[in-house]
Amino acid sequence: MEVKIIEKDNVLTAQLNGRLDTAVSPEVSSALQPLIDNADKTLVLDCKDLSYISSSGLRIFLTVRKAAAAKGGKVVVKDINTEIRQVFMMTGFLNLFEIQES
Amino acid sequence: MELNKHRSELSTMLMGVLLVVVAIVTLGVTSLVQYVHTRNILMEEAERRAQDNIDHVEAEFTLVVDLVESALRNNVWSASVLVSYPDSLWAFTRGIVVDNPFIYGSSMAMVPGYHRKEQFKVFAPYAHREEDSVVSVQLGTEEYDYASQEWFAEGVKAGEKGHWSEPYFDEGGGNKLMTTYSVPVHDHRGRVAAVLTADVALDWVSDRLGRLEDYPFALKMLVSETGQIMASSPQYESLRRKNIMEVADEMENAEEFKEVNRGMLAGEEGSAPVHLQGKLYYVYYDKVQKTGWSMSITIPVEEIYGDLRKLNLQVGALQTLGVLMLILILVVTIRNLRKMADINAKKNRMDSELHVANTLQMAMLPKDFPPFPERNDIDIFARVVPAREVGGDLYDFFIRDERLYFCIGDVSGKGVPASLIMSVTRSLFRTVAGHEKSPVRIVSSMNQNLVEMNVNDMFVTFFCGVLDMQTGHLRYCNAGHNAPVLLDKDQSAPLSVIPNLPLGILPSMNFEEQEIDMTSGAGLFLYTDGLTEAENQALELFGEERMMKVLQPDQTATVMVERMTEAVQSFVGEAPQSDDLTMLHFRYLNDTPMEKTERHLILHNDIQQIPQLAEFVETVGSLAHLGSAMAMSLNLALEEAVTNVIMYAYPPGADGLVDIEAIIRKDELQFIISDSGTPFDPTAAPDADVTLDLEDRPIGGLGIFLVRNIMDKVHYQRTDGKNILTMSKNLL
Repeated sequence: MEVKIIEKDNVLTAQLNGRLDTAVSPEVSSALQPLIDNADKTLVLDCKDLSYISSSGLRIFLTVRKAAAAKGGKVVVKDINTEIRQVFMMTGFLNLFEIQES
Repeated sequence: MELNKHRSELSTMLMGVLLVVVAIVTLGVTSLVQYVHTRNILMEEAERRAQDNIDHVEAEFTLVVDLVESALRNNVWSASVLVSYPDSLWAFTRGIVVDNPFIYGSSMAMVPGYHRKEQFKVFAPYAHREEDSVVSVQLGTEEYDYASQEWFAEGVKAGEKGHWSEPYFDEGGGNKLMTTYSVPVHDHRGRVAAVLTADVALDWVSDRLGRLEDYPFALKMLVSETGQIMASSPQYESLRRKNIMEVADEMENAEEFKEVNRGMLAGEEGSAPVHLQGKLYYVYYDKVQKTGWSMSITIPVEEIYGDLRKLNLQVGALQTLGVLMLILILVVTIRNLRKMADINAKKNRMDSELHVANTLQMAMLPKDFPPFPERNDIDIFARVVPAREVGGDLYDFFIRDERLYFCIGDVSGKGVPASLIMSVTRSLFRTVAGHEKSPVRIVSSMNQNLVEMNVNDMFVTFFCGVLDMQTGHLRYCNAGHNAPVLLDKDQSAPLSVIPNLPLGILPSMNFEEQEIDMTSGAGLFLYTDGLTEAENQALELFGEERMMKVLQPDQTATVMVERMTEAVQSFVGEAPQSDDLTMLHFRYLNDTPMEKTERHLILHNDIQQIPQLAEFVETVGSLAHLGSAMAMSLNLALEEAVTNVIMYAYPPGADGLVDIEAIIRKDELQFIISDSGTPFDPTAAPDADVTLDLEDRPIGGLGIFLVRNIMDKVHYQRTDGKNILTMSKNLL
């Protein structure tokens, strides 16, 4: 699992690459700390190369989303694959996140 | 000359006596070690079984209590409206009984004088079961002053929680032991107007206690807050309705028993040894939640150790026989010595003594063939060809629950110590494999035990397998032993094995398990290195190549082992056999295997092992021909369930295992996840509400929700001290 954070025009984009399972969630959580720290800006979770997510990954997404709501920022989830979209649907995450396709 | 002869005879005698003493002491020590060890295992087993049984009955009992309580609470609101229409209470109470099969009778008793009309002043319609119908009577008569009864008086004061009465014997209605649950009913002004009750028969609890599969002579009982025995296993029927304190008072020297009773009445849980009338018992007790009642199981210690005593007698008899044989041989040898007065005789004697010890050891291994004459799905044969000096080879096998458990092993070194370790290893296998079905668990537990015995740098190479007789699925675990040969119609080749380490070296060794499917007609040939390392006079080894040439898949096990023995003997010729040679061969013969495939994975409780699940699901997915979307959601469900176990089943820092079993059938895929951690039912957690807004949405709680949504069936049970979560997905 790789996480890369790019800041451009006041927008923070986190590119997530690989499988976000319980084993890697602690390191992903700390890698995404810059997003929490800048939760007043626009945050993009780029999931183009994210192949799998478990509930521990969903928790991280929700934590980011809550931080943004508290500080007045915005979260966009980009390019989730069909399988992950299904998990989002099942868990009601489709209603909590702004989802974008590029 | 004469003096010398006497001296040599004297020292021979001394040696003989010494040998007998050494033999007796060694046998005594090993049987003591084995005795203490087995005793501890049996004691732990008893405690676990008692705890499980208490948990089981408690769960059923709590369910009934919950059902009754909620049945009445659901009716309290209607009752509060109906207090103004007493005529309707006949139908109302009748309805409660008809709708709730576990309620034996129900009454709504008006507070005397609440209604001014004469006919309703003292009014308590009561509906109850009589054979197949429900009959109503009025309880408020001149002879029966219900207002002073416990169920009414306590019911008025009980408040929302209600009140469970002391058990009583219902003389009128079928002579049943009953308890009554009462709740007060308030009218629209908030005054208590009536008490609504439900009677619950307790006889089923006694039946249930009697049906528990454990120690038949154990006393199992349910005891009320004040000590009344409400239910007991059937052979102790006479105790019902008595008070445990009174029962204790009637006995002499019952201080320990009274102490246990006091603990139980104080709502504690625990266990304690109790001496009663010259016998020792173990009492296990626990509180039944909600009611304030307690359950206890009292097991006579002789029952816990029942089998042990029998085993000890057998072992004792065998050992005595062995010592007698030793003495006999000594006497004969001494006589021979007198005649021959030859130095060589000394050597012969030593050899024959060692052989006596060896014969004794070998007698423990299964040697009646065919061992399962009633079965035609297995053909098995085994043999040990002992070397001149005693060694430490062993094999064993048995069938339990339609699974063949088998093993082969070789103890490092030779002589008496090796053969002692061999017998310890063999009895460990019997003990552990008697209740574990996973080879890696069997091997790990044996390893732990052997390491703890700390036997001077001795180790055991060992191979253990468990064959499912219905499906041909073989799970195996190797501990540094030679790879067995898998004989199949198409080709015969050494089984692929992970070497791991032999038993008795590393306490924390993480053994790995492997698995394959055996087709009907396939065979497995297990051997010790006495075969491949047999040496001829030119110091050449027999070797694997020669061995493979002899092996043929279509021969019976007996023929195969005979031919191998002949082949190695003709190769070795006159050279002395230096090591034990052991062979175990079996063929699986089942033309109609069940249509299912199994795969297993065993993980440690370490979150870093989670990625192995993905590989496992991939294997299972391709066996079941699943699409990638389905495979991913199954991976997700499995990860959530397994993460739960890894995080919460074992105390922090404690090492524990998680078993994952996948069963693939044509129409269904099933995962069984088990662990031996603390009891925990993940299905009992409430479902996460996924419709909540962002602010109200809790961060966690999605795991079990995902499992429930992805799988078609999720079921939890606690059996044999294990949490077992079964989840299935329909494939059609």
